Amino acid sequence: MNHIDCKYYLAIDVFKGICKITKDKINADESGCSDFDKASKCKHCKHFSIKDNNLGLCMKKTTAYPDLQAVTCKDFSWK
Amino acid sequence: MDLKKTLSESVIYNYYGVKPEGEIQSREVKKSPSARVAKTRQMYFETKSSASVEFPYWYTRRWDELEGEIPIVRRAEALKAGFEHITPAIFPGELLVIGKAHYLRGSYPMPWLSEAFFMAQEDEMYKDALEAGKVSADKVTTIGQGGGNVTQSVGNVISLAGKFGFRKEEMPILLHIAKKWFNKSVDDVGHKYEQLVPGYKEKEEIMRAVICMFDSGYTLPQGREVMNYYYPLQYGIEGIKNICKEKLKQTAGYPDMDRLYFYKAVHTMLEGLQSWINNHAEETKLMASLEEDEKNKTEYLEIAERLYWLANNPPRTFHDALQMVWIFHVAVLNEDAISGLSPGRLGQVLYPFWKRDMEKGLLTLEKTHELLECMRMKFTELDCFASMGVVGGVLSGNTFNNLCIGGLTKDGESAANELEILILDSAMTCATPQPTLSLLYDEKLPEEFLLKGVECTKIGTGYPAWVNNRVAMEFLLNNFKNEGLDIEEARAWSIGGCLETSAGSWMPLELDGVTHYIPGGSAPATSVGVHFISLPKVLEAVLFDGLDKRTGRRVYPSHGYKLESYDEIWKAFKEYFSLTVEVLTLTNNIQHDVWGKISPSIINSMLKPDCLEKGKDISKKGSRYNRTFNVEICGGVNLVNSLSSIKKNVFEEKNFSMDTLKTVIIENFGYISASETGAYSLTEQMKTTDYRTWLKIHKQCLDAPKYGNDDKYVDDIFKEWQKWFSVMCENYASLYNEPLYSCQISVSTHGPMGAVTLATADGRLSGTTFADGSVSAYPGTDKNGPYALFSSATCYNHALSQNSQLNMKIHPSVIQGREGARKFLELIKAYLRKGGFHVQFNIVDSRMLKDAQKNPDKYRGLMVRVAGFTQYWVELGKQIQDEVIARTEYAEI
Repeated sequence: MNHIDCKYYLAIDVFKGICKITKDKINADESGCSDFDKASKCKHCKHFSIKDNNLGLCMKKTTAYPDLQAVTCKDFSWK
Repeated sequence: MDLKKTLSESVIYNYYGVKPEGEIQSREVKKSPSARVAKTRQMYFETKSSASVEFPYWYTRRWDELEGEIPIVRRAEALKAGFEHITPAIFPGELLVIGKAHYLRGSYPMPWLSEAFFMAQEDEMYKDALEAGKVSADKVTTIGQGGGNVTQSVGNVISLAGKFGFRKEEMPILLHIAKKWFNKSVDDVGHKYEQLVPGYKEKEEIMRAVICMFDSGYTLPQGREVMNYYYPLQYGIEGIKNICKEKLKQTAGYPDMDRLYFYKAVHTMLEGLQSWINNHAEETKLMASLEEDEKNKTEYLEIAERLYWLANNPPRTFHDALQMVWIFHVAVLNEDAISGLSPGRLGQVLYPFWKRDMEKGLLTLEKTHELLECMRMKFTELDCFASMGVVGGVLSGNTFNNLCIGGLTKDGESAANELEILILDSAMTCATPQPTLSLLYDEKLPEEFLLKGVECTKIGTGYPAWVNNRVAMEFLLNNFKNEGLDIEEARAWSIGGCLETSAGSWMPLELDGVTHYIPGGSAPATSVGVHFISLPKVLEAVLFDGLDKRTGRRVYPSHGYKLESYDEIWKAFKEYFSLTVEVLTLTNNIQHDVWGKISPSIINSMLKPDCLEKGKDISKKGSRYNRTFNVEICGGVNLVNSLSSIKKNVFEEKNFSMDTLKTVIIENFGYISASETGAYSLTEQMKTTDYRTWLKIHKQCLDAPKYGNDDKYVDDIFKEWQKWFSVMCENYASLYNEPLYSCQISVSTHGPMGAVTLATADGRLSGTTFADGSVSAYPGTDKNGPYALFSSATCYNHALSQNSQLNMKIHPSVIQGREGARKFLELIKAYLRKGGFHVQFNIVDSRMLKDAQKNPDKYRGLMVRVAGFTQYWVELGKQIQDEVIARTEYAEI
């Protein structure tokens, strides 16, 4: 998994961010380090099912997408 | 032929006075921000503009769930869902927190306003999205020029509108939700109904010819206005919710039920804001938990505590108040596509908090300075997501958050205060484009305050702009008296956006039992209505009997004149211009009406007096003052110079015929067009082999009397245009059934509008940029010094219009030292005392700008003043860069 999928990744822009632990600047699309921990995103939620073309369903009814951040979603539940 | 080489070798500069020689002159003083802000500013410099789909996703999802709900409540619920789902982000070193989106320079599309431009680019964007590739920060830096602009798609990032980076994995959902808004967005619904306007066909051709720059109803429906922070500062969020609850009881079941829905919508929205703030507080606690440095940890915890408090309560301190102001500023920006949302006279709004904290020993000057620098960074991080034509062609990537200082108090005394001095200081040490500053000049302001303003302008920040308080008050009293504006209220004015005079009100802030009357905006968006009419392009259509000669398309019906006299030209011009204003007024009225129905303002309405009292949002005339629609123009000086040349050369001296003039316009005086050379000013142009055929005529056109030289011949033409224009606007009524008024700013439109305009009779070449502003001379044509320019500029009453705009470029050596500062202040006073409304300055050696154009990486922090705003040089388009370089540089004043 890449930095962008880590819960400690603080995005500065679409390319890069800061590691909340080390404070280092890191690139979104490079491999995560040993501190990597999955960010809560739809793709890790048990209510999400992938369909196609990077789209899926939330709660089997509403369109959602796998990389949607879910840190503020009340219904998020780890798979 | 090596075009670039030929061009660079042929560079000339326009000077008044002795041409500077030797080394490029640096600006006199360079100051640095505090260590904290130096770090955040460096991070900003390394950050790219980034858009996300998070907010529009949640907005659309909730909107879909509530089909059948009352529209304003449905919108409030959708906005609430957007706010409460923004991923919170707290960046290291910040003392003020919260942004538009989770990126540092974050923003997002608003397909409920317009989805058309994503749909139009759909194939292209999909293609980019499918091209996988590993991306790195290093790789993107190869984009280089353009500062924070993401001008190309790279790896997993797609460029939108030539500026915003967008993650590839979010593209399918963006297109999915954009399609949901097809035929439902303000743009689409407005388009359906605007076609019912007689003259719609002409309107479409006017837009196609770029005689008008853009529609306002779905592009930037709010903005160019002044925020009012009174309610959150006085009552806090829970307090405003309580007001809504009381109002709900008073209105439920009674006539005029729209009030009920409005209060419900405001209450709902505020719940969304509370979640948004609390989410950030939680994130700040997380950051604190991961922090090993005790000082940083404490700072995070203090921020978290402040956010939890402000989610419910009014501010307790200056720091609280500044954070509260920022929260509501961003909240308004997140409800619409907005440029020019100005904080107004913020130093006077916050002064009671600051003064109290200073007296109690809770705050120091150093801490205030640091907080104000942090505020500058937050404003500078703002981006406005819009299409390329709007974000580049009009805004130059700027967001126009104008902070005003000076002016008068409610009872007519100087309103300048110590906090405003600190605002000026922080704007020098932390020189960033936002917020730009305007000094509301009045003879009552203390000399020490004015000299501080000069000190700031001198160092080359481009701010403060100098604005005439009395002229603005006269304009407001003339235009808002029917809505009850009196002299006392006129003193509460401020600038919205780059230079739009906006009505304000005094609000009674109670603090420790003392009432402080603080100024704030009390009118909705200005610069809505008819957005930027290109005057030289209208004249071109007159000369070619209604055709856009560049494309061959017919824009206007044939005027039927043989153009055998100057009077016929002028008459035809007025007819075409009037037709343009008429159709654009009607179609824009429809767009704004649709906006008010589909996408009404809720947060901004709540803030603006007297919406909360009346229970009406701003689209229902809830604001205290509602005469805000205007007619904006561009290229006025080129129009006047061209009319002067036609009058002199064709009709008086008969140097050449009208047919010959039309031919040389088509032949571009024997030069290669700017679209081919990529050079957009007269200082760098290439001749064709037969240029000599047109040389004499070109010289006659260039030699015709030019505006800016205190020449009565051309100034009389200028005066006639100004008088006619300001009166004719009143023939047209806005959506709110108020007459329009004239507005004269160019922003960046003089670039793209010049690009589609053929050569003009004043000797300007095809495709080159027009003169900026409204009373700036065309580059290189003001040859008689600054005071002659001032005389020309003030040949009419500036209070007839919402504004006027004068840009000057001065070589740094001219105003060095204290003596130079005094001389500079006298120059400014001389203009304002003559009745000038506004003047702003670039204090720069033109050769530095040319060097910056060649070596942008050396000049990441270089700022210039364009037309009502300061922007980083590297984020400006070349059309504007060339024009700024070409402006006459005053090496003597």
